[in-house]
Amino acid sequence: MAQIPNLDNSPLNLKALRDQSQKELVNILRSIRGKKCLVIDKKLSGSISLVIQTSILVEHGVELRLLSPEPLQTECTKVVYLVHSNLNLMSFICSHIHSDVTKGLQREYHIYFVPHRGVDCEKILEEEKVHHLISIGEYPLYMIPMDEDVLSFELDYSNKECQVDGNTSSLWHIAKALHKLEFSFGVIPNVRAKGKASVRVADILNRMQAEEPVNLSDRSTLEINTLILIDREVDMVTPMCSQLTYEGLLDELLHINNGSVEVESAIMGVQQEGKKIKVPLNSSDKLFKEIRDLNFEVVVQVLRQKATAMKQDYTEMTTSDQSVSELKDFVRKLNSLPEMTRHINLAQHLSTFTSKQSFLGRLDMEHTIVEAQSYDICFEYIEESIHKQEPLVSVLRLLILLSVTNYGLPKKHFDYLRRELLHSYGFEHIALLNNLEKAGLLKKQETKSNWPTIKRALQLVVEDTDTANPNDIAYVFSGYAPLSIRLVQHAVRSGWRPIEEILKLLPGPHSETKRGGFSSSPSYDTLQGASAAVNKVADGRRSLVLIVFIGGVTFAEIAALRFLSAQESMAYDLIVATTKIISGNTLIETYMENMG
Amino acid sequence: LLWKESWEMGKNPMASKGSPLHGPRIKLIEKAQSLFAETKEHTFESKAAEEHAKLLRIQHELEVSTKQAIFVDSSISDTIRTCIVLGNHRAAMRVKAEFKVSEKRWYWLKVFALATIRDWDALEKF
Repeated sequence: MAQIPNLDNSPLNLKALRDQSQKELVNILRSIRGKKCLVIDKKLSGSISLVIQTSILVEHGVELRLLSPEPLQTECTKVVYLVHSNLNLMSFICSHIHSDVTKGLQREYHIYFVPHRGVDCEKILEEEKVHHLISIGEYPLYMIPMDEDVLSFELDYSNKECQVDGNTSSLWHIAKALHKLEFSFGVIPNVRAKGKASVRVADILNRMQAEEPVNLSDRSTLEINTLILIDREVDMVTPMCSQLTYEGLLDELLHINNGSVEVESAIMGVQQEGKKIKVPLNSSDKLFKEIRDLNFEVVVQVLRQKATAMKQDYTEMTTSDQSVSELKDFVRKLNSLPEMTRHINLAQHLSTFTSKQSFLGRLDMEHTIVEAQSYDICFEYIEESIHKQEPLVSVLRLLILLSVTNYGLPKKHFDYLRRELLHSYGFEHIALLNNLEKAGLLKKQETKSNWPTIKRALQLVVEDTDTANPNDIAYVFSGYAPLSIRLVQHAVRSGWRPIEEILKLLPGPHSETKRGGFSSSPSYDTLQGASAAVNKVADGRRSLVLIVFIGGVTFAEIAALRFLSAQESMAYDLIVATTKIISGNTLIETYMENMG
Repeated sequence: LLWKESWEMGKNPMASKGSPLHGPRIKLIEKAQSLFAETKEHTFESKAAEEHAKLLRIQHELEVSTKQAIFVDSSISDTIRTCIVLGNHRAAMRVKAEFKVSEKRWYWLKVFALATIRDWDALEKF
């Protein structure tokens, strides 16, 4: 199945990680004899499909169902629920059981919570008087490899929960996942964190290490050298900008879900009325691996070149006699044809959006806001967008961008725009506005903005970006270098010390810890600038830096990291872990209250 | 705490979306408004709640007079647009005055609405 990424080329043995998750799930299924109906909650099914093939599940006598409020239709007498600990889902399960009881059906019920059981959920089961009918277990799936170099904790609401609800359970989840990772790959000696949540995670991780130490002597080499934790809160500017890499743009316009996009079949050149096609997007597709992180402008050129080359080969083939080896060569090239067509179709579809005047106008505006020199123009543009009732989320993205870079809006404008928003889009959005205000994304101006200083010190705006032959990460946004990745760049190269002044201007505290041996108390000495030679693992592989984004990361940022990793001067391979892969839209959507 | 309470109030009516009983819903919103009004920091929220209640009343009246259930739960801008599309310019003007809609927004709405019904003559004149 193409949707599961091939992890063979991963710098870290993620395959082992996935195999372990797979084995754990199979063990659960084996422990329940005979045929059984496996009911998975909808949100989880995407994650599960990245861990295990359906065929393996079927081999173990499983009938698959998605969890829904309707009564369960199955012949099986054994029902296994695989769910997140979510209260709504519990009520579904209860209603299933109640309906079975009234029908006089006798079934055996199992619930496996992912990744761990919740007291509140069990309470509901008790109140509904079904607790004694169920055997309860846990399936400790804490993180899922999305690709060779990307791990996801699949915590969609982490950012909003931390910022608005003060719910920090996701931080525990992250620390637990990292600790689990350390059991497989050794203790990570250097930890650098920026942001409130990041520092918390680092603390929890230390505590876990103290309580349940990873045995160091088991391993001769430490695979992961440094852990960098970054809060999304530190950089809310980047996700609000439109991503311009191929993969980023796909996500912005078509929404990538669990490593694939769904598109109308007509776009892919298949004649099937109204049917949607799933296109897997991961590095098993060699062409996609090559072009995913390029600026979209360049992608079109690359595809054109490849198509022309192919055509030339074909004409040569038909006009002259060929040796067998040349023929073989040609056929090998032909094999890449389906991938070519696939991406040409997708790119063509994307360019129908990117060639629009409104798209270009918007990009211009984003750059103007990031430049932070002409507040009034930006304000008027946003005002006009509201009056034209352009999609709420896209207007909010600009507004948040303006508010964050300007450290808030003047009180008069703040109230005026909020009123205009409610008038244009309806009063029900007051909850959303309020959440954004709580999270500090949309607020009254209280202090002068430090953004120009930050922008200058970290060289966030780069003139004359050559998107075809980039020499800086700014290519991913055609001229804006993502703040988050600039921080990572510094953290990898020299630690926090040299940029401490700038870090203080950004939200949240920062910390740098060296963890070693069995000592559980972290020492706060300065880290020496890591020299490349020392950190090289003996067999010539580069050692690893794991970068964790708490609150989500965008594809464009991942692209920028891959770009850094490919630089010759870089002494490390970089691996990304995130609570969720996000875009500005999906991030804002988590702030909408679900009403009704 | 007070805030939270009024918040729940504000949410409640949303939960009963689409129910024909507008009376209790408007009352709830008005209650939320007075709760918001008790503290200084929430003047904005209080004002919004007040306007929301007013909007629901007008929308209700419009639904009665036009015998079409298309107004309630749309925004102010949408209400104005619907009025113009239906050719009810007087009602549109009334909503505009009632909520002090700025001229700028008014022009955008009118242009869009007239374009929707392809009333090019009116568009030309205005």
